[in-house]
Amino acid sequence: MSTAGQWVLLAYRIPRQPSTLRITVWRKLDRLGVARLGDGLVALPADARTREQIDWIAEEIGEMGGSSTVWLAAAGSAAQERAIAAEMRAARAAEYRAVLEQAEAAARARPGERSRAWKRLQAELRRIGRRDYFPPAEREAAQRAVRTLAGTGTGAGAGEVAR
Amino acid sequence: MRWATRPGVHIDRAACAWLIRRHLDPEPEFVFVDDPASVPADATPFDMRGAELSHHGGDCSFETILRRYDLDDPVLWKLAEIVHEADIDDERFDAPEAPGVDVILRGLSMICDDERVLEITGPLFDGLYEFHRRALLLGREPA
Repeated sequence: MSTAGQWVLLAYRIPRQPSTLRITVWRKLDRLGVARLGDGLVALPADARTREQIDWIAEEIGEMGGSSTVWLAAAGSAAQERAIAAEMRAARAAEYRAVLEQAEAAARARPGERSRAWKRLQAELRRIGRRDYFPPAEREAAQRAVRTLAGTGTGAGAGEVAR
Repeated sequence: MRWATRPGVHIDRAACAWLIRRHLDPEPEFVFVDDPASVPADATPFDMRGAELSHHGGDCSFETILRRYDLDDPVLWKLAEIVHEADIDDERFDAPEAPGVDVILRGLSMICDDERVLEITGPLFDGLYEFHRRALLLGREPA
C-alpha cells in the first residue's frame, strides 16, 4: 500500500463502564492493525476494505452507547505520514519476530508438535498479513521459517499434504 | 421490490442479494447508493450503516437477514459461516472456504460492475448451497 495517500480516521468515545465494551473495541482495532494517533483517534490507510471495517466498528460503537465519526484525511506533511507508517511497520515487525522465534523453537520439536506449530503459525502469519500495510523486512524471514516447518513435518496428515 | 445497498459489492452484499432473490423476493431490483441518506423511499436498505438489515452485535448482514426473516435452514446457516468469515474474518467459525471466496469476490469487483458481480455470484452461491446441502444430508463431503 502506498504512502502519501488517503487515510481513514475513526474518532470515538466509548462509555467507561462496562469496560468489556472498551476492550471489545480495542481488540477489534488491534486486529485491524490501526495506528493510534491519540486518545480515541485511530487511523488506517484508506481502501475499500479498511473503510468498510472502520465503518462497521463505528456502527458498533454507536450500538454500545458510544459516539464516533469517520473521516477521510491526508497527513499534513510526508514526514508525518512516514513516521506513522514507520510505527505501524515496527509493530508488525515485532509480530513477525515472535512468529520467527516460535518457528525456530518448533523446528527442534518432535514431528507431531512441529506440524501443529506449523499450522498455528501459518494462521498467525495470515492474520498479521491482513493488517500489514507497510511490510517490514522481518516478514520474509518469518515466512521462510514457517515454510521450513512444513518441509520437515513427517506427522502431516492427508489434509495438510494437500495444501 | 426495491433493495438498496452500497456500490463496490463484496462478499456480504453479494450473498445478501442472492439470499433476497432466493428466499425473500423472486424479482428484486437492486439499487446502489453511496450514502445511507440517498436510499430511495421505496427501497429496503441492506449492508449499509444505520440499516436494520446490516451488521449487528458481531453478525454480518447475511446473518442478520437470516435472523430477521426467521430463515432457519441449516444449510443457509452453514453458508452464513462462510460469509461471516470471508467478510469479518474474526475466526468465530471454522470456514476454510472463506479466504477463497473472499479473494474471488475481490477479484470480480476489479473486473466487472456490481450488476455483473451479482449475476456471476448467483450460480456461485447456488453451488455452495448445493454442496453443503448434500454434505449435510450425507454427513460427509459429497463427491
